[in-house]
Amino acid sequence: MTNPTVSYEVVHSTRYTYESEVSASFGQVHLMPRDLPGQECRASAVRIEPEPADYRERTDFFGNRAAYFSIRQPHTRLTVTSTSRVEVDRPVSRPPGPAWEQVRERLAAAATDGELDARQFVLESPLVSVSAAVERYAAPSFGPDRPLLEVAADLSARIHAGFSYRPGSTSVTTGLDEVIEGAQGVCQDFAQLAVGCFRSRGLAARYVSGYLETRPPPGRPRRQGADVSHAWASVFVPEEGWVDFDPTNDTFVGDRYVVTAWGRDYSDVPPLKGVIFTEGTGHELEVTVDVVPLNDTP
Amino acid sequence: MTATSEPAELLSAYRPLSGSYDEMVGGDGRIRDHWAGLGRTLDEFGLDEINDRRRQVQRLLDDDGVTYNVRARPGGRAQRWDLDPVPVLLSSNEWAGIERGAIQRAELLNLVLVDLYGPRDLLRRRLLPPEVVYSHPGFLRPCDQIRLPGSQQLVICAFDLARDSEGRCWVLADRTQAPSGAGYALENRVVISRVFPSLYRDAQVHRLAPFFRALRASLVAVAPPTATDPRVVVLTPGSRSETAFEHAFLASYLGYPLVEGNDLTVRDGRLWLRSLGQLQPVDVVLRRVDTWFCDPLELRPESHLGVPGLVEACRRGTVSVVNTLGSGVLENPALLAFLPKLAEALLGQDLHLPSVPTWWCGDPTSRQHVLAHLDQLVIKPVDRSVGSGPTVGWDLPSAQLDDLRRRIEARPHAWVGQTPLALASAPTLSTHGLDARRTVLRAFLVARGESYMAMPGGLTRVSPTSDGIVISNQTGAVSKDTWVLASEPEPPNSYWLRSGPAVAAVEPAASMSSRAAENLLWLGRYAERAEDLVRLVRVINDRRNEFEHGSNPAGTACVRVLLASLTHMTATYPGFVGDGAGDRLEAPAEELRSLLLDEERPGSLAHAGRHLLDCAHAVRDQLSVDTWVVIGVLSHELLDLGAQQLEGQNAVQAKLSRVMQGLLALSGLVGESMVRDPGWRFLDAGRRIERGMQLASFLGANLDQRRGLATDSLLFESALTATESIITYRRRYRSQAQLETVLDLLLLDPENPRSLAYQVDALTADVRDFPVQVASGRFSEVEKHTLATSTALRLVDTAALATPAADGSYAALRAFFSEMSHGLARTADAIQDAHFMTQVPQRAMLTPADPGAARALHLLLG
Repeated sequence: MTNPTVSYEVVHSTRYTYESEVSASFGQVHLMPRDLPGQECRASAVRIEPEPADYRERTDFFGNRAAYFSIRQPHTRLTVTSTSRVEVDRPVSRPPGPAWEQVRERLAAAATDGELDARQFVLESPLVSVSAAVERYAAPSFGPDRPLLEVAADLSARIHAGFSYRPGSTSVTTGLDEVIEGAQGVCQDFAQLAVGCFRSRGLAARYVSGYLETRPPPGRPRRQGADVSHAWASVFVPEEGWVDFDPTNDTFVGDRYVVTAWGRDYSDVPPLKGVIFTEGTGHELEVTVDVVPLNDTP
Repeated sequence: MTATSEPAELLSAYRPLSGSYDEMVGGDGRIRDHWAGLGRTLDEFGLDEINDRRRQVQRLLDDDGVTYNVRARPGGRAQRWDLDPVPVLLSSNEWAGIERGAIQRAELLNLVLVDLYGPRDLLRRRLLPPEVVYSHPGFLRPCDQIRLPGSQQLVICAFDLARDSEGRCWVLADRTQAPSGAGYALENRVVISRVFPSLYRDAQVHRLAPFFRALRASLVAVAPPTATDPRVVVLTPGSRSETAFEHAFLASYLGYPLVEGNDLTVRDGRLWLRSLGQLQPVDVVLRRVDTWFCDPLELRPESHLGVPGLVEACRRGTVSVVNTLGSGVLENPALLAFLPKLAEALLGQDLHLPSVPTWWCGDPTSRQHVLAHLDQLVIKPVDRSVGSGPTVGWDLPSAQLDDLRRRIEARPHAWVGQTPLALASAPTLSTHGLDARRTVLRAFLVARGESYMAMPGGLTRVSPTSDGIVISNQTGAVSKDTWVLASEPEPPNSYWLRSGPAVAAVEPAASMSSRAAENLLWLGRYAERAEDLVRLVRVINDRRNEFEHGSNPAGTACVRVLLASLTHMTATYPGFVGDGAGDRLEAPAEELRSLLLDEERPGSLAHAGRHLLDCAHAVRDQLSVDTWVVIGVLSHELLDLGAQQLEGQNAVQAKLSRVMQGLLALSGLVGESMVRDPGWRFLDAGRRIERGMQLASFLGANLDQRRGLATDSLLFESALTATESIITYRRRYRSQAQLETVLDLLLLDPENPRSLAYQVDALTADVRDFPVQVASGRFSEVEKHTLATSTALRLVDTAALATPAADGSYAALRAFFSEMSHGLARTADAIQDAHFMTQVPQRAMLTPADPGAARALHLLLG
């Protein structure tokens, strides 16, 4: 069963204002939605100010769309704006999948190339260490013979209920143990925790970066820039492929989500990263995201 | 010890280790055939003679400044490279077998590397489990699909080889990231062939030079196809890296500039060298920096050893980095377990040179084997960067063995178990004779054509103790030269001299980085600073001796003025002029001692010495071989300053003399052995600026006012002595000193190499030869400053300067010295601005700490 196709225009803008002049910047972005079953990117463009001396798009190791840029003129402000038009048409419900133990065995045997390829996502990664604490946290969700997507739904519900969403409580390098200990974090921490739980049981899970369309409370107009750059988790189901779920909002990923990139964890796919040359250390950062439905009739 | 050994005693007293293979002595107790010649020679020499040759070896290594671990730790000392005088011999037959196996192994590893960063068919064909590749930190996803021109991605590699008790060779480990040791092997050969010239000649040893020529050829061959005359650089992590000696040695031997990450920049998708004149394109990088430090944009963000954008440039194929970025993935002990299958699948051959038997714990059957034999195996983590080295199972108490077992079970794919090898032994010189010590041979391979060439021999490393089984330079291994004996004289078919059309010379300014030029300038400045300080302190000490008992008021006054001018010249306030100066002038010994020995104190001799040596190390590839003889002596004298108990005036004076000899030798070499290229110009400019400034501040303080005839004449004489001009002055003016004529000689005489005019003239000549980009006929900013200083100097009237004001002070003279000092300082600043990089700090572009801006909680309910 599928919904009618939904179209979005996504505008993601990042602006740095530096305290002192930056003589050169080098950057890499993961800001353009990728094409995949259930999602098609019709158009995308990245605008960078000041004008980069060099800009080149490519496909990265994971098949994501990435771009490199360098700016040579001195600047005190850097703006990177990505604008894309995406059509989304995802299945909303699916069978619960085989028991998780079976999935683990199938991954180990890897009879298909898909299963073999998924095995890289069983391994730990820079930001997802499978510690004793992660294993313990995962345990209640992995009952014997439980279908894999039931496990995912349970993990999603537990994380949603048990953790406070608290911007600023963690940073991009916060480890899972600290997230579990503090019972708080942001979407990226929750996604990585879910990923770690699957990996602790020998299952393949990856980190997905993208956008979520938010809707204003009834009777209020859409506010510009109110949307978010978001992250969630994806788990490998044999036959089915990768199934995305969002522990931050306790839901499977449907038509209101736009995927830009996936990797082992956040460190593989930050939306924007870079190296700058400057004497100063201070900067201000402003990020706005708009996910505008183009055929929306709420 | 006094050795009274009879000939023949050395060899007959040698006892191989029981249960292992010995390189020299066979199982039957007889000397192996190919060792017969060397054995005879050793016996003829006897222990005394060989110990003497060992001292020669050490002296030659010191002369060449061969070090390992050059002050890698702050305050640490350079460790002398340790070379045993007795080489290891390999017969030509034996070597042929090793060479064949090593070449096959290099070909195989290259195919694996090509596949892992290309199609990854080896995973799909189930020849390699994905965990072996994907969990290894050397597999770098940003480097995926980077491809050097030609078939070889692995241009240079090394294998650590050991023999079992039967003498069979096994590979212990592969080095594919940026293997070190080839340069040390060459240096070992240079030294040993000089210490045993006739032995070396008679033994018909295969030469090493062709290996390095092949390296040059393959560096040129992998250049991007658009590069017609490829420019190659050697990328080093810097003069503080463990193997910094080798980086500089290789760079100068190969004739390529030695550069650090800061010297390079990526623009318009390609790599450039910030050289003196301008940006110069770079086509090939021979890197001695591990991949993950090579690019802070895509690899380790905190690295300051790399170049942002380098990965992107490689991806575009505009520059070739050797070995290709990501080649460290092959330094993976887990891979050893799969090589036989891979050799069969990729080459259709058996592995000629086997790896030490290895079980990868990611495979359940192998894991069981390892866990069942934990106390009999060597256990290694797959990732050798994690810090924990190999663990020897049989050495562990059972509690630790259990702990290891748990760690393996928790992350099986991260561990391997290996069969221990007894390691062969070879005769090694000890104080009392030849000892059997265990050895490992590092063999080196370089791409040649479609295949590889092996360095004949390699770097043998010897365990420092007779029972050691882990051999590493970090734990103080001794090295040996390794001789592959030719069965017949080697045809001299590879010459350095070549026929054919002349090759265009590289413009010197183009091949020198700004950083190198800056270090050369500071080398000149610190050398001069040290020299001036030593001269003045010697004069002060002489005067103090002369007027020790304070019975001569003029003498006492002179010493005080000299001490004050020492403080001014070295800018080490308060010293003898500021707060507490009175006490220090009464008892100056402690302050003087600090000015010589306190390395942390800017202005001191030890401080200048340390910085001089740092600058020299940073431009090691620019300096001639003989320079290192002098630098070696200076290091010895300067680095030990702080540690020394210089008791008594005589000891101090003697020490200062030795330091002065070293400094003079350095300036002599700079004058006689360096080509007058821009590098020399910068070095000389540094010396001229420093000498001029020191002279101005010293004289300004020394000749600040009239102090009466007796004191003034002592001061003038002291000033002339400290400036090395006393003899000229006496000869020229014969009479007693007068200020006006003193000023003529020290300020204006263009023929006196110690005068201010001479410094300004030389500086003017130096800066005229700096690479500049100003329209012809115009002066550069730097030249404008030298011209202004020079003009002011030429227009001065020494008679007027020598006339005291009403209060007896030489106010005009003081003002003039101050003007000269400032003029020179402004020149130095202008040089800095025009020619050196003002390195803006590199920082990470901070990402939002919080990527999810708001939780969409209630909004989804609608």
